[in-house]
Amino acid sequence: MDDAHSKRRLRDLIVAAVLTCIAALVPLFVKDVYVQNIMVLTLMYAALSQAWNILGGYCGQISLGHALYFGLGAYTTVLLFTKFGVLPWFGMLGGGLISAVIAMALGYPTFRLRGHYFVIATIVIAEIGFLLFHNWDWAGAALGIDIPVRGDSWAKFQFTRSKLPYYYFALVFCCVAWLVTWWLENSKWGYWWRAVKDNPEAAESLGVVVFNSKMGAAAVSAFLTAIGGAFYAMFVSYIDPESVMTFQFSLLMALPAVLGGIGTLWGPVLGAVILIPLTELTRSFIGGSGRGVDLILYGTVIVVISLARPEGLIGLFAKRRKEVAR
Amino acid sequence: MKIDRRHLLLGGAASAAVLPFAKPARAQAKEVVIGVIYPLSGASAQIGVDAQKAFQTAAELINNKYDFDLPLARDEGLPGLGGAKVRLVFADHQADPQKGRAEAERLITQEKVSAIVGTYQSAVAVTVSQICERYQIPFLSADNSSPSLHRRGLKFYFRAAPHDEMFSQAMFDFFDALKKKGKKIETLALFHEDTIFGTDSSNAQLKLAQERGYKVVADIKYRANSPSLTAEVQQLKAADADVLMPSSYTTDAILLIRTMGELGYKAKNIVAQDAGFSEKALYDAVGDKIPGVISRGSFSLDLAAKRPMVGKINDMYKANSGKDFNDYSSRQFMGLIVMADAINRAKSTDGEKIREALVATDMPGEKTIMPWKQVKFDAEGQNTFADPVLLQYVGGKFVTIFPEQAAVAEAIWPMP
Repeated sequence: MDDAHSKRRLRDLIVAAVLTCIAALVPLFVKDVYVQNIMVLTLMYAALSQAWNILGGYCGQISLGHALYFGLGAYTTVLLFTKFGVLPWFGMLGGGLISAVIAMALGYPTFRLRGHYFVIATIVIAEIGFLLFHNWDWAGAALGIDIPVRGDSWAKFQFTRSKLPYYYFALVFCCVAWLVTWWLENSKWGYWWRAVKDNPEAAESLGVVVFNSKMGAAAVSAFLTAIGGAFYAMFVSYIDPESVMTFQFSLLMALPAVLGGIGTLWGPVLGAVILIPLTELTRSFIGGSGRGVDLILYGTVIVVISLARPEGLIGLFAKRRKEVAR
Repeated sequence: MKIDRRHLLLGGAASAAVLPFAKPARAQAKEVVIGVIYPLSGASAQIGVDAQKAFQTAAELINNKYDFDLPLARDEGLPGLGGAKVRLVFADHQADPQKGRAEAERLITQEKVSAIVGTYQSAVAVTVSQICERYQIPFLSADNSSPSLHRRGLKFYFRAAPHDEMFSQAMFDFFDALKKKGKKIETLALFHEDTIFGTDSSNAQLKLAQERGYKVVADIKYRANSPSLTAEVQQLKAADADVLMPSSYTTDAILLIRTMGELGYKAKNIVAQDAGFSEKALYDAVGDKIPGVISRGSFSLDLAAKRPMVGKINDMYKANSGKDFNDYSSRQFMGLIVMADAINRAKSTDGEKIREALVATDMPGEKTIMPWKQVKFDAEGQNTFADPVLLQYVGGKFVTIFPEQAAVAEAIWPMP
């Protein structure tokens, strides 16, 4: 490890700590629940995209089927809670573990596929998951599950009007996802993943166990994604397959990372901070016209960013372009 | 200052983030704000756009003087609140329960709405009504038909229109009546899409068929927005039931009729659960293939013969939207009237007071544009007096054939 490298890692950590402190103080000044709602969603998508980035960015295995893990987290938590009275905190961990195991089970056959074939496989598998839940009567099938909210409770993670508990949970979730990435980036795994991404054959010849490293990335990524799904379910307090398991969700998890800078530490956060408020605010303030102007604007921003900064928005902050591609 | 791409992008993003926070001034005192949450973009955007026109027509009637025997039409604004005008705020939920929830919260906390009306998709109604309950703001479900909605023990949930079980019940009452007249109806084929609407509808139909002794020879569930229905239609053809009962949205319904034509299957009778079968688009596309198709509905223009104001109000809506009232737009229109009527009687914009007024609602059917007996909510907030009608598509338009008090023609059975 050269000096500059560890300096940069320390700088990243300090920046993250400062940003977290600022984020923790923001609700003291922003009391509007609508704006708080946007902040919760932004943090949640930043974390989800960070989780996606581990497999899709660092390891280079582009998955467009992460909605499966998101949905598994959501459904595990809600089913355990509504059917057996298990507190959502345990359901959340259970959902995470189930997702990690399933990610590895699915990885076993699919990691033999490369490039586009792998992407297609992830889409198809997520679609199968969606259809299973859509037709599973015990799990509410198409009707979904409505979580009855009866008063505020930390144990049940339910709050009638206040958004703050959700906000702070999302903040912690986002920090954890970031820290996990920060730590892994510099670990043996992180180097393996980048080697696998660049050239699997070369990596293999240098002693990287390509298959295992892909499996590891998939498990960590799925676990974190499922935690996000569990949080989303408790936050919205209603889930149905259409709202947690559709393809659209898989895209929404990948988009902030792609837009912000794929395979970078700050890309997903940056992407989410720009993308999520943009979608929410444009819908709320110009979507009411019914002319679709909000979506046109949203699409335009994505196109402009992709054209101006193909390597992601993170490029705006890099002093030297090289630093981005580290 | 040198402006490069970096500054342009950052600046653009920053101003995009800041601008919308500038809140609209709401200084006008004499107005009552009602939130309207619909899908205004995405696959069902057209429904939302038509709904906007229906709500605007209702607001126009409430805010100005019209000589109709409809609550609030003869006054300017709400007399109970000193002539306050109704102002509508529209929000787009994009058929996403999470977005519906966020919009409801925004309308309540930022726009200070006194009540909310919505939402077309039942899944969105679930979350919007939850938020309304939390903030104690009355929610009127104008056109959601899922029966599970009013069975959740919510205090601020109201629905003036019928739900799917009531609709299906009307169909089976109609079958029973036909059987008494000596027509042969023994077997049914259910054909439904797999979202909340189709699932609820087919569950109700299965139950009713069992209770009343009809044999279900095919119960086919298909994926909504399916690219092909060939296999499904082959099953229907093989079953060849006396009545085919589809619960499908527009695109699927059109595909169903087209595929039936391609495979040479002519159903003996079709009795449809509304949705696609009340949309003009379907009849424009394949209407010639299905003369005599029957659909349930909650509205019928035939009512205009008995109640002239129905025709006149329909003309107002048509001038606005270019379409006649259909099953959805009529319910949306009535939804706002019922809500405004309650706010007027409550003489207040306080949620709890409006809720009490809604509970006390007792609007005779003649004072609506619907074929209902009256508007009166039960303990769960459901109007149990909202009689559905069955309409038959004959000679390029719909005629009411059931129930008898609303019928203007005999049903043509079997369909030609």
